[in-house]
Amino acid sequence: MARVQLKHVYKRYTADVATVKDFNLDIADREFLVLVGPSGCGKSTTLRMIAGLEEITEGELLIGDRLVNDVHPKDRDIAMVFQNYALYPHMSIYENMAFGLKLRKVSKAEIDKRVRDAAKILDIEHLLDRKPKALSGGQRQRVALGRAIVREPQVFLMDEPLSNLDAKLRVQMRAEIAKLHQRLQTTVIYVTHDQTEAMTMGDRIVVMKDGLIQQVGTPQEIYNHPNNVFVASFIGSPSMNFLRGNLVEEGGALFFRAEGANVRLPEGRYAALREAGVVGKEVILGIRPENVHDEPMVLDTFPDSTVQADVEVVELLGAESYVYLNLAGQSLVARVAARSEIKPLTKVSLALDINKIHVFHADTEQAIF
Amino acid sequence: MLRAIRRNKAAYLFILPALLLMLLIVFVPLLQGIYYSFTNMDQYNMGNKFVKASYEWIGLANYKRVLAGEGLAEFLGVLKQTMIWTFTNVFFHFILGFGLALLLNRHIKGRGLYRMLLLIPWAVPSFISAFAWRWMFNGEFGFINMVLRKMGFEGVAWLSDPVWAMTAVIITNVWLGFPFMMVTFLGGLQSIPRDLYEAAYVDGASRFQQFLHITLPQMKSTIFTATLLGVIWTFNLFAVIYLITEGGPYNSTQILVTFAYVKAFNNWQLAEATTYGVIILSLLIAFSFFYSRVLKMTEEK
Ligand SMILES: Nc1ncnc2c1ncn2[C@@H]1O[C@H](COP(=O)(O)OP(=O)(O)OP(=O)(O)O)[C@@H](O)[C@H]1O
Ligand SMILES: [Mg+2]
Repeated sequence: MARVQLKHVYKRYTADVATVKDFNLDIADREFLVLVGPSGCGKSTTLRMIAGLEEITEGELLIGDRLVNDVHPKDRDIAMVFQNYALYPHMSIYENMAFGLKLRKVSKAEIDKRVRDAAKILDIEHLLDRKPKALSGGQRQRVALGRAIVREPQVFLMDEPLSNLDAKLRVQMRAEIAKLHQRLQTTVIYVTHDQTEAMTMGDRIVVMKDGLIQQVGTPQEIYNHPNNVFVASFIGSPSMNFLRGNLVEEGGALFFRAEGANVRLPEGRYAALREAGVVGKEVILGIRPENVHDEPMVLDTFPDSTVQADVEVVELLGAESYVYLNLAGQSLVARVAARSEIKPLTKVSLALDINKIHVFHADTEQAIF
Repeated sequence: MLRAIRRNKAAYLFILPALLLMLLIVFVPLLQGIYYSFTNMDQYNMGNKFVKASYEWIGLANYKRVLAGEGLAEFLGVLKQTMIWTFTNVFFHFILGFGLALLLNRHIKGRGLYRMLLLIPWAVPSFISAFAWRWMFNGEFGFINMVLRKMGFEGVAWLSDPVWAMTAVIITNVWLGFPFMMVTFLGGLQSIPRDLYEAAYVDGASRFQQFLHITLPQMKSTIFTATLLGVIWTFNLFAVIYLITEGGPYNSTQILVTFAYVKAFNNWQLAEATTYGVIILSLLIAFSFFYSRVLKMTEEK
């Protein structure tokens, strides 16, 4: 059992500034939880509090139903994987992995068995006699994982473990860590600032900003139903488009109007918009690039939800193109098929898939839907 | 090597003048000194403006005298004193330097201030400090004996008793020399990545185990370099002893370099002085070689 609970956790490095504020989270046993957010938002601080490397200023931390605020890291049943691997440079790979067990006075035979098992899982058996400096980045990362595995902890804590690897290796290690998680069946708390990592690896994602949780949910939930403009813009690549405009009512229908845009909103959302009290007011409309279409067929299907914009740049990425547009001063990105005929420096009409639209309060930036 | 020279011809051409000058300054006197050690040069035959030099090549006679003949007892005596001087100094430099570096490396209040204060012995020109210490060690009026007497002890014959004189020069040089080690070690300690300690902490290592398994191995090459330099410097350190005791009483604080100096410029036994010089050089080269061999061996293990 390794459920991890954080209850009203605060971290203050100085008396007046809280780096992590009122952090509440219930992490289920065997869950792969990803903490994601921009640099400096407090992800590492949160993880280090769970590890016991930082003191918890206020609040409670429970690991497996045991209050561990004042428990030494070695007794928390956790293992940590550091961003820069933190392998002991003067020890061989074998000794690196065995070190924690030796300190625990685990028997020699048991240590040997665990180290060799872990090395086998990670495919680093042939490296056991080497020193860390004779290893590539990817191999070091495996050793760092191995050092955590041999401890047989209830919870793995990983702080941006892949950020020092090149793009290709990162994709590969991502899959391996996911596989490892399935095999070991333990709780993993994983910190990253890379939203792709978060989306592909997490059972659930916690999006943070300025020490505050912005949203907790499955990747789908967060992608499809972001709580606010920050989450919507942080998750997804290229980022969601945001257009400022007014919500106007005409003949019983609701329209989003801005210069170059006149979008009729789906009827099913009227109740929500009315309840939010934004009719006749300024709002932010959010739409992901893949939901901005240029095919004539779609333009015909959504005649009431088109925008007119100037094409600035077309970026061909193989199977698809990103089109960067200027909509009367507001920028808009569309993700279209590579065969699209859109040319730079022309004016085009594009259709927004209104079923995929999001609307946010203009002032609080909170989502209405 | 040759290929490298050819490839960077211009670069080598630029440093050539400096290189030649260095050779002139370093090697010419060195070779000259080595040459003198094979002659019978003294104050009468060394020659001057008016008289032509008349010393002669006498082969290994000087070395025979010092290392196997009537000069041996004297040489061994001074060598023993040199060893005591060198290793006691370096030992205390190391202990004090490392200990203080460990303390300063922790996050204590006023760290910068302590560091500055501890650097003072190093910053003051050493001949000034040496003279100050000489006065403090003065048997009748010295500060140290004054304090001792105030505390009810008898004064110590610091500079006139052989054992106490050696103690006095060593105390002075320990005071002068520990800041160098401290600064070197502090730099080394600060360059150890913090996450190594964190990893060890999570692994369950106690403070002492962290010191043993992370600090020491990480500091190994710094320790090696600093102690090697320390030994060489101290072995060759002339000023402190010469300014405080001048090697006395009865040559009891003489070390090889001061003794060679006395031979050369007080007794004008120039050939024997240069013989001492060559022996000193050989000892240091042998020591450095042996020391780095030992280090390599422990590394391979
Ligand atoms: N020891 C400390 N003392 C004071 N402030 C600190 C300390 N450690 C971190 N901070 C501050 O706390 C904030 C959060 O830091 P943290 O390392 O948790 O960010 P992060 O989300 O992990 O960012 P990154 O993605 O860059 O690693 C930062 O503003 C940082 O400056
Ligand atoms: Mg971080």
